[in-house]
Amino acid sequence: MYSTAKNFRTYRTEEYKGGGNTSRGRVNYKSYFHENCGEENVYYKNNGYKSRLSQFQEDDGNTAMSDIQKDLHPRHNLSTTDDNNRKVARDNKDLIHITEWRDGNHQMRNMNKNEPGCKDRTFPMTKNKGPMPKYRTPSKREIEENGQNNIYGNWFKITIPYGRKYTKTWLLNSIQSKCSVHFTPVDFHYVRSQAHFFVKNSTTAFALKNVNYKIHDENNHQVRLFVKESAAPSSEQNKLKPEEIEQLKLAMKKRFDVSQKSLNLQSFRFDQDLMSHDIDMILNRRNCMSATLTVIEENFPELLSLNLCSNKLYQLDGLADIIPKAPQIKILNLSNNELKSLRQLDKIREMKLEELWLQGNPLYNNFSNYSTYMSAILDYFPKLLCLDGKDVTHSMDVETGASEILKPSKKNHGVSEMLKNLVLQFLEQYYSIYDCGDRSRLLDAYHDEACFSLTIPCNPKELVPLSLYKYSKSNRNMKNCKDHVLLTQLLKHTKRDVVDFLRVLPKTQHDLSSFMVDICILTEKMLCFSVNGRFKEEVEATCPVILRAFTRIFIVIPASNSRLCIVNDTLTVSNACPKEIQSDVSIPARAPSSIPVPTISQEQQAMVQAFSTQSGMKFNWSLKCLEQNDWNYAVAGQNFTLLKAEGKIPKEAFQQIS
Amino acid sequence: MGVHEAGQRPRMGDKPIWEQIGSSFIQHYYQLFDNDRTQLGAIYIDASCLTWEGQQFQGKAAIVEKLSSLPFQKIQHSITSQDHQPTPDSCILSMVVGQLKADEDPIMGFHQMFLLKNINDAWVCTNDMFRLALHNFG
Repeated sequence: MYSTAKNFRTYRTEEYKGGGNTSRGRVNYKSYFHENCGEENVYYKNNGYKSRLSQFQEDDGNTAMSDIQKDLHPRHNLSTTDDNNRKVARDNKDLIHITEWRDGNHQMRNMNKNEPGCKDRTFPMTKNKGPMPKYRTPSKREIEENGQNNIYGNWFKITIPYGRKYTKTWLLNSIQSKCSVHFTPVDFHYVRSQAHFFVKNSTTAFALKNVNYKIHDENNHQVRLFVKESAAPSSEQNKLKPEEIEQLKLAMKKRFDVSQKSLNLQSFRFDQDLMSHDIDMILNRRNCMSATLTVIEENFPELLSLNLCSNKLYQLDGLADIIPKAPQIKILNLSNNELKSLRQLDKIREMKLEELWLQGNPLYNNFSNYSTYMSAILDYFPKLLCLDGKDVTHSMDVETGASEILKPSKKNHGVSEMLKNLVLQFLEQYYSIYDCGDRSRLLDAYHDEACFSLTIPCNPKELVPLSLYKYSKSNRNMKNCKDHVLLTQLLKHTKRDVVDFLRVLPKTQHDLSSFMVDICILTEKMLCFSVNGRFKEEVEATCPVILRAFTRIFIVIPASNSRLCIVNDTLTVSNACPKEIQSDVSIPARAPSSIPVPTISQEQQAMVQAFSTQSGMKFNWSLKCLEQNDWNYAVAGQNFTLLKAEGKIPKEAFQQIS
Repeated sequence: MGVHEAGQRPRMGDKPIWEQIGSSFIQHYYQLFDNDRTQLGAIYIDASCLTWEGQQFQGKAAIVEKLSSLPFQKIQHSITSQDHQPTPDSCILSMVVGQLKADEDPIMGFHQMFLLKNINDAWVCTNDMFRLALHNFG
């Protein structure tokens, strides 16, 4: 008897063990017991055994059964596929052992077989004031009667099926608004899709029972609510004795750094002080966590940083209670625990964390790379600055960075430096891939529904640039435009088509220093920028390098992995004017790492035009001359005349007489 | 006169909608600009933004002021090419390459980009970027 009972208990409770994973055993166990939890009818259909089980089932098998625990050595591994364990679980009769019937005290203690309370494999059907009928919500009379008998110590468990859909705050507020009695929820937690919490007295429970059918969510669905008697919640059970709490407080005070307002509870179970007083601070257990949080609330409410590293935490339900107790926590270290999914973070997402440590948790393996991991975490804590010791916001972080930058502000028309850098970085990356030869890597840069079009303008008065026809080889649509201008235009849609087409275009070498970029914020999530510049076209080794001029307009949106994603891309390619090729100084030289500042003003441009006409020099050379002479027209003119007389001005500076 | 591939009819009739809207806008714009650019206010709205040679101007009034104050009396635009694309939020991106001649100055190439949006059944320009061509003459 004792042994099977022992097995059952160990199988049920979460365990510390050296290695291995508890998940398998726990999942099996939970799914087995949880199928029908929360449904009144089901209690009725299946016999009371199962309901009894589910009543025991506190969050994640966390119900510690106090003294019994201490007696058990070694603790059994949940993941053992030991048939005995399963068998015991299914063997309802054994379960009955655990339930206290005769003994009016609900506490599940003293399960030695010598205990008079234990019965031997019979379901003790008492007729009168026996067990509370578990398969239906107790009536008021029953509650009162049994409350008097104090069978279950007046604790009631409230279950909201599908409670997982709602936030804790909304749920509790809604319930309170419909409930005639004020209640204090204890041990609020989610299990699977349900939400549960406990209340202490029967009047409250009865009042809550009446809330059922009264709450509607925003989709006008009813929120159901079931009340049943239960054992005390795990945080109440095995509450630490006052002297234990005192020791706990002392131990924690030693670990509190006043200057940093930080509390280091790393490997708290193995704290020397606690161990010497025989206090087992297993933080996974609700009672331990609850006691710890109470100490924090009373002694360190101004806490800023909490370190819970290496405490084998696999759920954060208990930790969630910290939010009202220490609202200023900004730094949380949960590294080297057993958190298996980011859903655990859901429970603490109201914490305004700036720094979070999660490495060393199994959940890390759910992500294929660091940036998906980081952006998933940012979903929970958008204000996070530092994750696992690494800065979260950096220049390529479009998500948080760009969305703020892109907000159109009334005063600031200009484009911020950060945005300019963002665009420049994008262009550098884009063109390095574009030029390197394998343009299929550009697939990542394009949105699934991206559009791309290529336009080749040419003036019929000039010789049709035959060389440009290689761009139009694949083009079948030759459009006729007015003014008898030959125009080749192609529109590609979907990133696959776009990139396939880009790969066909000739190999290029873009001259980043020639880039002139204009940026325009369209909306909070859309950015448009145009690039004017030059590139060299390398067709074959033997052919001379051809210089092309291009204009490219990109419309981009921020993508989930901190990148920019192209939705529109238009390219115009024309022959770079041969005269232009000579002059390397068109506009003040720009370093590749900076976006060119706006060029000459309208007045200056007019000046250059005039100078150009008068001197006979090309626009750019006139510009250069004027700049070198501080835009003093007269002085520039004098210097020009001087230099020209000395023959120091190269022939190509002058406009060719056509 | 145009060049068609053998057997292909000119696709004037079945142009995609963004091309129709884009090209008629372009035509309208340069006609206005060349004849009386002070009338251009009609195509902009208060949220519009013009980037003229790198300088930004916001709002219908500021834009019209800038365009009106450009230092030339006569202006003539000649479009070499235009290209239109639909954007994900149902706007139209139009890119224009062409040449312009202001007063008696030499011909210069230019590039211009428009972003058109449908507001209350009328197409207005929300963004406008203009640059003179440096590397080619349009």
